[in-house]
Amino acid sequence: MTLLTELTRRPLDPSYADAAARRAVEGDRRGAVSHGLAVLLAALLGVGVAAAALALRTPTAGDRQARALLEHQVLEKRDVVDALEASNARTASEVTALQESALRSSDPQLLDRTRPWAVASALAPVVGAGLRIVLTDAAGTADNPDDLDLRVQDVDLQVLVNGLWAAGAEAVAVNGQRVGPTTAIRSAGSAVLVDLVPLVGPYTVEVIGDAPELQTRLARSTAGQHMAMLHATYGIGVQTSSVAKMELPGSGSLVLREATVPDEALAAAGLADAPAAAGVRQSGADKEGDGS
Amino acid sequence: MIAILGLAIGVVVGLLVQPTVPAELQPYLPIAVVAALDALFGGLRALLDGIFDDRVFLTSFLSNVVVAAFIVFLGDQLGVGTQLSTAVVVVLGIRIFSNAASIRRHLFRA
Repeated sequence: MTLLTELTRRPLDPSYADAAARRAVEGDRRGAVSHGLAVLLAALLGVGVAAAALALRTPTAGDRQARALLEHQVLEKRDVVDALEASNARTASEVTALQESALRSSDPQLLDRTRPWAVASALAPVVGAGLRIVLTDAAGTADNPDDLDLRVQDVDLQVLVNGLWAAGAEAVAVNGQRVGPTTAIRSAGSAVLVDLVPLVGPYTVEVIGDAPELQTRLARSTAGQHMAMLHATYGIGVQTSSVAKMELPGSGSLVLREATVPDEALAAAGLADAPAAAGVRQSGADKEGDGS
Repeated sequence: MIAILGLAIGVVVGLLVQPTVPAELQPYLPIAVVAALDALFGGLRALLDGIFDDRVFLTSFLSNVVVAAFIVFLGDQLGVGTQLSTAVVVVLGIRIFSNAASIRRHLFRA
């Protein structure tokens, strides 16, 4: 308790009183040198206090180091992801080439039948003429970064891409990401994801098909009205141009989720009524059920 | 009086030059600043009481800062750094409050 009593009763340093008493008895005997030293010491203390206050206001070195480390790691991992994606695409194209060469020698008819499917399922890269539609965020986004209405959103891209399919598009890609039957266009925060890859604006929708036909049918559809509304109401840029030759990449490999043996193949193998065949199909159905 | 003048000059110089504090001293800065505040309030009260003394002000300022930083250093070495910091802040805080109350009585007579 002595400490607390001392603190609250006599908060002032007792040496002030001592010094005052001594001065009253002996008088002030200090000369110019003493005063100079006092000023110097006081100035040094002032510099120290100012430096301490400034250092406390800026982020500490530890924070900066952690931030730099995280940035470094993010960039490093992004490089790894890029390398893996590239190797994935290489392997996928190798698989496609091997499949084609195998089929060409064994069953050329099947190859001819599967080729259009590879285009329709966005598996194979395609080259052709078509339209390029560029959607840009409205001019005011810099002033109102939180106003989502001024930005191109996932819904706008969904409407446009669906309208293009309805207008007879053969292949569609958004910013180089091929859109297939199972590709989702959605948003995470303010970023638009196409096939789970985050994209940033301006969004370039490239579509292969008969350009004049696509343009007229798109303009008549609700998607065309939506684009006109975006441009008129929110100032979002919509630029359409026809391109003589475009290359759209393939979307890599598809995951096999379901497989059945065709009836004619079973018949050809002489297994149409065999119990083993029923067993095979049964187990296939089971697997599908587990997977979903 | 001359000490306060020197301190003000030092603060201005420090703000202009913006010297960097070594990284090893960083953990002691907050406590050192609180200790410096305590010395400042003590000096202001002594001034109003009419017993201000340059030498006492400077020694109390310097020793406050050094002792506070040393206590935190000791606490860090013993593994009770945060607790000792809290103790120092409580003690210095009580002193700052009582000195501020006394200064208020002097200035406003209330």
